[in-house]
Amino acid sequence: MSIEIRNIQKSFGNFQALSNINLDVPTGELVALLGPSGCGKTSLLRIIAGLESPDVGTILFHGDDATHRDVRERQVGFVFQHYALFRHMTVFENVAFGLRVRPKSTRPTEGEIHRRVRELLDLVQLDWLSDRYPPQLSGGQRQRIALARALAVEPKVLLLDEPFGALDAKVRKDLRRWLRRLHDELHITSVFVTHDQEEALEVADRIVVMNHGKIEQIGTPQEVYDHPSTPFVYQFLGNVNLFHSRVESGKAFIGNLPLEVDAKDESNNSTAFAYVRPHDIDIQKESNIQSAFEAKVIYIHSLGPLVRLELQREDQSDIIESELTRERFLQLDLSIGSKVYVQPKNIRVFLNETA
Amino acid sequence: MAQKKNVLPGFNLSLGYTILYLSLIVLIPLSAAFIRASSLSLDEFWHIVTAPRVMASYRLTFGASLIGALINAFFGLLTAWVLVRYSFPGKKIIDAFVDLPFALPTAVAGIALTAIYSQNGWIGSFLEPHGIKVAFTPLGVVIALTFIGLPFVVRTVQPVLEDLETETEEAAASLGAGRLTTFSRIIFPSIWPALITGFALSFARAIGEYGSVIFIAGNMPMVSEITPLIIITKLEQYDYAGATAVAVVMLLISFFLLLLINGLQWFTNRRNQEFR
Repeated sequence: MSIEIRNIQKSFGNFQALSNINLDVPTGELVALLGPSGCGKTSLLRIIAGLESPDVGTILFHGDDATHRDVRERQVGFVFQHYALFRHMTVFENVAFGLRVRPKSTRPTEGEIHRRVRELLDLVQLDWLSDRYPPQLSGGQRQRIALARALAVEPKVLLLDEPFGALDAKVRKDLRRWLRRLHDELHITSVFVTHDQEEALEVADRIVVMNHGKIEQIGTPQEVYDHPSTPFVYQFLGNVNLFHSRVESGKAFIGNLPLEVDAKDESNNSTAFAYVRPHDIDIQKESNIQSAFEAKVIYIHSLGPLVRLELQREDQSDIIESELTRERFLQLDLSIGSKVYVQPKNIRVFLNETA
Repeated sequence: MAQKKNVLPGFNLSLGYTILYLSLIVLIPLSAAFIRASSLSLDEFWHIVTAPRVMASYRLTFGASLIGALINAFFGLLTAWVLVRYSFPGKKIIDAFVDLPFALPTAVAGIALTAIYSQNGWIGSFLEPHGIKVAFTPLGVVIALTFIGLPFVVRTVQPVLEDLETETEEAAASLGAGRLTTFSRIIFPSIWPALITGFALSFARAIGEYGSVIFIAGNMPMVSEITPLIIITKLEQYDYAGATAVAVVMLLISFFLLLLINGLQWFTNRRNQEFR
């Protein structure tokens, strides 16, 4: 079932949690709402679920207006960050709950319920835990049970609120791959909220980057990572170096390196921000035409396939981060204190007005 | 058996102190009652504790206490629910009101209740034309016992309600459960143990209550005379053995009832809490 979100606004007292949100989630897609805490992503998810209602705007499920539909009738599965399992019920009863509370006319028979719950516990690979109680399970197991419970009612939409937020790094990684595979099997329209960019990039078909109650960018992981449309997205997705500069006769500068700017007004006073990813900062031992400035190596972190350098600019106090392949690093023969020339590539400039 | 190292120090000392303290304050005075009563022969004892007037007082004391505690269990739960779940102006004040029956001298409460519920009191004058007499009847006893027991239920249920995650209720709703189902299958099982504790405390307090009841009860033998009053009356007549005999019976019944309630609680807890 597709979800269409039209002009949603929501405020809590004086705090504008969401302003003018428009978003389409096509049937069967796995979409991540990504943003820092307080950006409104959870509010948006709860509005889709019907746990909150928007001040303005409409939600369409499969083309039908569902804005005022009660959460009980929306046919959504909701997975909470802290699992929200019923602790006085066994795992089996937790999963069966959604089936047991159906009105008598649509309630499956006891045998049918048993069959369905077994099936779901098999799906989440925890059938051996069916007689346990939630507090006896590990975090990862609890979240998988919560997922099975949400799937038991055959929801048309699956909504997950920071589903892996409370788990440790290793489990989180396993579980998100598992979620991806599960989604590929079931093809249920899913929206999940996360503040972890790595998680969003790895799992989602599309990413919705949010900040301050607004959508900054919507796109595939590749699009948002390679072509961030705003400075915020640049900074939020991955590491980035920021260079401040003034625009002079249509050009911004990083050190000595001029950059073309398509500024509409030629005013020389507007500020420009240039963003460069650390792996796009190349280093030379000799100055050449593409060198921006001279710098000194102040820190070398050489763990894994990439070597991370911190460079101190000679002309300013700024510190620049650079990532080199191990091969390149050995070839340059760098050590702490080495003088180098910095060559940024793939520079993206934002003028102050867009920042 | 080798002594195990305990993380918390002072186990022997604190346990010893606890036993000494409980003995001095609770166990020794209680056993004194049994010793006193044992000066009677079994026949005399039986005769005293099964006298019709005494039997009627048992029925009133335990019956009215039970009704009062049941009323408190219901309205106390409601009060706790309102105080936890909703915010409204004056909430803090109402929250403070709940403790008043704890703090008020019970005799004052008794006099106040009598004044209000008597034939020409504020409430009593409205009830009188409908043929409902409160003051100086068993109904008055129930009201007094309800009054003094209310805080027990509210104060035991309130913290448990506060700890309930609203997320589990939202989860139940998203699974299609109606409000009633959510309450009976999700919320109620969680607060049940606390509710039983509150009920038991309220019930125990009511059984021993004296001050507030004697004013409103009217103390008519066979009708509105509570067991604690019988004990006092016997004491005033220097019938110490008779008084302690009745007290012993009361103690035994109370002990048995509390044991029963705790057993019920243990039974429900076993399912809910063993795995926490």
